[in-house]
Amino acid sequence: MAATGKSPVTARDTAPTPTGRSTRPGKPRVNHPQYALALTEPTFARELLLATPVRRLWFCIYLPNLPLEANGPGEGARAIVEEQRGIHRVLLADADARAAGVMPGQSGNAALALLPTLKLDERNVLREQQVLESLATSLEQFTSFVSIASHNVLLLEIAGSLRLFGGLQRLRQQVATELRQQGFDAALAIAPTPLGATWLARGGRRTCIREPANLATAIRTLSLNCLDWPHTLCAALTGMGITSIGDCLRLPREGFARRFGAGRLIELDRALGRSPDPRISWRSPKRFCADYEMPEEQSDRERLLAICRELLLSHEQFLLARQLGTQRVLLSFFHLKANATQLSLGCVEADRSTDRWFDLLCLRFEQLSLPEPVIAIRLRGGSTQALPAETACLTGRTCPERRYSMPQLAERIAARIGDQSVHGIEMVADHRPQFAWCEKSLFAAKAADVLSAVRCGLRRPLWMLPEPALLPVRQGYPLHRGRLTLIEGPERLETGWWDENGIARDYYTAVNPRGMRLWIFRNRNKATWYLHGIFG
Amino acid sequence: MQHDSPSLDKLLEENPRVWRGRDRNLARAPAGLPSGYEKLDRHLPGGGWPQQALTEILTEQHGIGELQLLLPALASLSIEEPGSDHARPGWIAWVAPPFQPYPPALQKGGVNLSRMLIVRPRNDSEILWSAEQALSSGTCAAVLLWPETLDDRASRRLQLAAEKGNSWAIAFRPLAARSEPSAAALRIELRADRESTRLTILKSRGGSPAVLHNVV
Repeated sequence: MAATGKSPVTARDTAPTPTGRSTRPGKPRVNHPQYALALTEPTFARELLLATPVRRLWFCIYLPNLPLEANGPGEGARAIVEEQRGIHRVLLADADARAAGVMPGQSGNAALALLPTLKLDERNVLREQQVLESLATSLEQFTSFVSIASHNVLLLEIAGSLRLFGGLQRLRQQVATELRQQGFDAALAIAPTPLGATWLARGGRRTCIREPANLATAIRTLSLNCLDWPHTLCAALTGMGITSIGDCLRLPREGFARRFGAGRLIELDRALGRSPDPRISWRSPKRFCADYEMPEEQSDRERLLAICRELLLSHEQFLLARQLGTQRVLLSFFHLKANATQLSLGCVEADRSTDRWFDLLCLRFEQLSLPEPVIAIRLRGGSTQALPAETACLTGRTCPERRYSMPQLAERIAARIGDQSVHGIEMVADHRPQFAWCEKSLFAAKAADVLSAVRCGLRRPLWMLPEPALLPVRQGYPLHRGRLTLIEGPERLETGWWDENGIARDYYTAVNPRGMRLWIFRNRNKATWYLHGIFG
Repeated sequence: MQHDSPSLDKLLEENPRVWRGRDRNLARAPAGLPSGYEKLDRHLPGGGWPQQALTEILTEQHGIGELQLLLPALASLSIEEPGSDHARPGWIAWVAPPFQPYPPALQKGGVNLSRMLIVRPRNDSEILWSAEQALSSGTCAAVLLWPETLDDRASRRLQLAAEKGNSWAIAFRPLAARSEPSAAALRIELRADRESTRLTILKSRGGSPAVLHNVV
């Protein structure tokens, strides 16, 4: 607050008010007609408010045209219709349509009669919610506290952000620019209470109120339409000659609560800062998940790939903003009747680059067979891990030679022939030959390899059979493409008694007439010969 | 007649694939990778395994020392030499090995196990694809592959990929492939009986055929 104390007080909150100076604590507030409602107000709420050391400042973003904007940019006159009691009625019309006389509340057919070129779209509440959430996520760059107040209202708590963004006006400007760039037509208002800011924004007041003392004056002049109250209630109030919030505040509290419900009274108290108004902070999801719905069934693979690329681009944006990367991406292709086709992509190292994921996707997509045309695609990011940005070269040049790193090579191969087909190898400290090694996954999170220091000083074959093969025996000699001659051994291995894989074997090096050097063993319990390895 | 065309000289110098007839100027051959067997090195142009090229090893069966022959060279490729040459990649890819390469034996041979990449493709076209990817990636120092078939065209592709990625391709093939044409820079036949092994250099770019006994 200290930093912003010197910035000029702006906008219309400087109008002198009779009560402006009288809200200091301790000053008696009785016998003033404007405080009729506050008389029975429990006093602790006010003390609570004043006792909080941090004064809050709420920035309200009201998006009246969200249903239109959620449908994406379009050309020509457009209107959004919603079904009300079986009739499609216009909910919202854009400027072109309004110029032709299309009004909210008209039936769809009436609107079309007025303007035959009008494009009518059904309202998509889910899509609106998604758009609002993505906007909330992008506004997290301005404050740590973004709240989705209703289906078209976002609230930002900005008291803590003023110093960083260089004062109230600059912050307001930056938010406005961000909204304009994203194509939103928004009404903005700033006030010390969330409801106050919301009502001011709904009323179209471009006000910045910083002092709680100035809030009441501004709110009093707002008409009842700014409240999100039911039409019947507003009509009843208007019938009583009450047209503004100021009129409401002049009514006796008990009577008001009895007639219109205690909830309405609490709303008024909250808007004026008389009672606390806790809000839930919007938390953007940790994992990315986005859908793309086709306007029609799509089977053109090129087009599907292009859509996947778009999804991957937004995935990258999502991860970039959080300095995260992921090792997995799951794509689902939805069909009308058949079950969704799943495509899982893996990366050895956490990554977010669209190019790299797209490269992998192209490899796998070639082999993917889609049973039916696709109606929607969903991209789901895997669990994320921190991935700091890379330092770019000062001169802006990248490495001249573009070639893959090892992880990229492994991914490419795994993407085409399967994850299980690519692996590394490592040693395990075990005397039993078949347990002395294991496959090392290249895709698992890296663990410290403490066993890399294991050394085996004994002679071992370069090739190992997956399972020992039983050798036929003739006249007491084992055979493998001819009679085997034992040239080295025995090396006795008798271990593993602690589990069911215990062995009792004598290992020999043998050679056959064709010059193959083999590693064979005699099972001491059964006196049978087995081939276990080949000295390549 | 003197070489008076500078471009021809340049072409001959820069392109090792141009066949030079009987002009066996070994000094001009690019340095090979020492095989670890002196007897063999003496007969190979450049004093070792030809790098950035395809080597074919023809054997009747597995297990007669074909891996042992390569092991010292693979070991030297897989060991990281800090400070000496950072750009040198040290991964060794095994594409479709007939059995499991056994880590304890590899380690005993001096191979760095953390640099091994085992690839098990499902069919022949995938074997060649994987090998080509590994060769041209520039990450693998050597790619060992056991293809079911390797025609002239495929061997040419491997040869080009090895040049592109500065890698060394080693294809293991049956003896029957001896009569098939191949683009390999070096073709070696390995035969063995109970007591001895015989290594025949069938084709060597810049070198000459030879028969060596008991190299391994």
